[in-house]
Amino acid sequence: MEGGIIANNAIDGLVLDKPHTFRVHTKAYTDREVFEAEMGRIFEKTWIYVGHTSEIPNRYDYKTSYIGLQPVIVTRGDGDVINVFVNRCMHRGAVLCREAHGNAQQFDCPYHGWVYTNDGKLVAVTHKDEVGGYSADFDQPKGLFKVPKVEVYRGFVFASFNDAVQPLLQHLGRARTIIDRRLNQSPEGEIVLRSQPFVARYKGNWKFQTENIVDDYHFLFVHRAFVDLQSKYGDTTGNFGLHPGGNTAEMRKQRYRGNVWGTPQGHGILDAQLGTLEPLLTGRFAEHYKVLKDKYGEDELAWIAGRGIISMFPNMGMIHQQIRTWRPIAPDLTEVTIYPYALKGAPDAYNEGVLHAQERFYSPAGYGATDDMEMFAINHEGLSGRAVDWVLLERGVDTDTVLESGDVQGKPSSEACMRGFWRRWRQLMSEA
Amino acid sequence: MPSMTRAEAEDFLYREAQILDDRLFDDWLPLFTKDGLYWIPIDETKPRDQSVSIIYDPPLRREERVHHLMRTRFPSQSPPSRTVHLISNVTVGAGVEAGNILIRSNQVIYETRVGDFRQTGLGELRTIVTRMEHVLRAEDGALRIALKKVTLIDRDLSVGILAFII
Repeated sequence: MEGGIIANNAIDGLVLDKPHTFRVHTKAYTDREVFEAEMGRIFEKTWIYVGHTSEIPNRYDYKTSYIGLQPVIVTRGDGDVINVFVNRCMHRGAVLCREAHGNAQQFDCPYHGWVYTNDGKLVAVTHKDEVGGYSADFDQPKGLFKVPKVEVYRGFVFASFNDAVQPLLQHLGRARTIIDRRLNQSPEGEIVLRSQPFVARYKGNWKFQTENIVDDYHFLFVHRAFVDLQSKYGDTTGNFGLHPGGNTAEMRKQRYRGNVWGTPQGHGILDAQLGTLEPLLTGRFAEHYKVLKDKYGEDELAWIAGRGIISMFPNMGMIHQQIRTWRPIAPDLTEVTIYPYALKGAPDAYNEGVLHAQERFYSPAGYGATDDMEMFAINHEGLSGRAVDWVLLERGVDTDTVLESGDVQGKPSSEACMRGFWRRWRQLMSEA
Repeated sequence: MPSMTRAEAEDFLYREAQILDDRLFDDWLPLFTKDGLYWIPIDETKPRDQSVSIIYDPPLRREERVHHLMRTRFPSQSPPSRTVHLISNVTVGAGVEAGNILIRSNQVIYETRVGDFRQTGLGELRTIVTRMEHVLRAEDGALRIALKKVTLIDRDLSVGILAFII
């Protein structure tokens, strides 16, 4: 699993990181060799989110997923063991699972009928003893290719092809706090993925989505029409408080507060405490919030109920009440899947309200995600103007503060979160 | 008890399609009853409170959608789409509720974006393949749409951007 043919010194030149300046070369988004290198040096080297345990709640449930371009199967076996296998028969390479999810004690290859158990063991090689069959010394594969590292954090299943990958908690770093806070919105500390996801593809590079999910700067421009809708309709058409502030000035104020983080693991984070808990503790879901207040205290509840948005290196994010993944298919083609989730133990009306507010904004016919995806295609098209070398990611570069943890703290609307991603990107891309 | 011939049902659907293809979305709104619903499910078998739809527009949401298309500017419709609806396999039956009429049809919508056709996402011809159900009810002296349900054949796959009205 080599990472393509691009030389390390060529990678170094793609990220310009020096005082008062942070720029990324056009080729880092558009070049096919860079893309090939990313598949090996990033997607096969770090932790990749492959699914949530609530998607495979029962024994022998499975779902398919991807690690970079490689198709995988995530299974729940005996004793609730979660395994991740390459979705490929060891014989001639056909994929085993053609369904996105299901329940199967065994996987039969559609090509020549080889049989594997849910935990990956090869248990039947068909017509093995025919005259033209396999040698007595046949070096029979033991089973499916098992992705060597799998760890689960609070239901989030991560896998890595890299035996020497750092422990998952170390990889999560500061993002762990945000995951915890998102999940602690549930009185039981758990989420359930039960809704159908939204799936859409855009003709642009995968890193546009990595950057954009934590980009506060774009909102009032790309989503200007949505801001207009909020001014006119407020919460009457199902916003459910999801995007607070009923006009441009207020929405800008709501966004340009709190912290922007770029972490050494490459995650981008936006977080902010809620200004006042009063409306929550006296509102429609007061009981729900009182339970959380008793459990975590007022200060922490203000974080839990506040902002917490993650762009998890390299291709998973959390925002509002959703998990989002973006799957690289080609340098200029990406598939985004948005999984809305429910908070276990929260009032049904609360979960339903958030679910449908997300539908209004994030559906392929919604007022938000459609414009982001259009923007990614516009952005990729613009990069065809390759006479221009650099993309500028240096907003707030002089206001960055480096913490002892290595986390870089930026000011609201700063691009510190993207710089964190690109520094980690350069580091991994240089380790062939 | 209202009734409708297939020819009348076809005329009704043609009129709606013409309004949509002419982008006269303000004229589309009064085709609905006061409580009319425009619905594009992803999985119609799942309870509404547990799963999302692509579109679930009660009256105010429909009005908002038209306002969005007609009186705001946003990237996924700048430049805008052109559409052509082709309508086929029309049948007329009784609706679930007494006095309602159910029109079923298959509709294929061709869509393209105007503008600089050489650019990504513009000048490409897309095909949107649907089965539709129109539930009609008499209101204010005319048959109006109480429910327009659009089932896309690729509803749970990657449907692409649908920032216009199907």
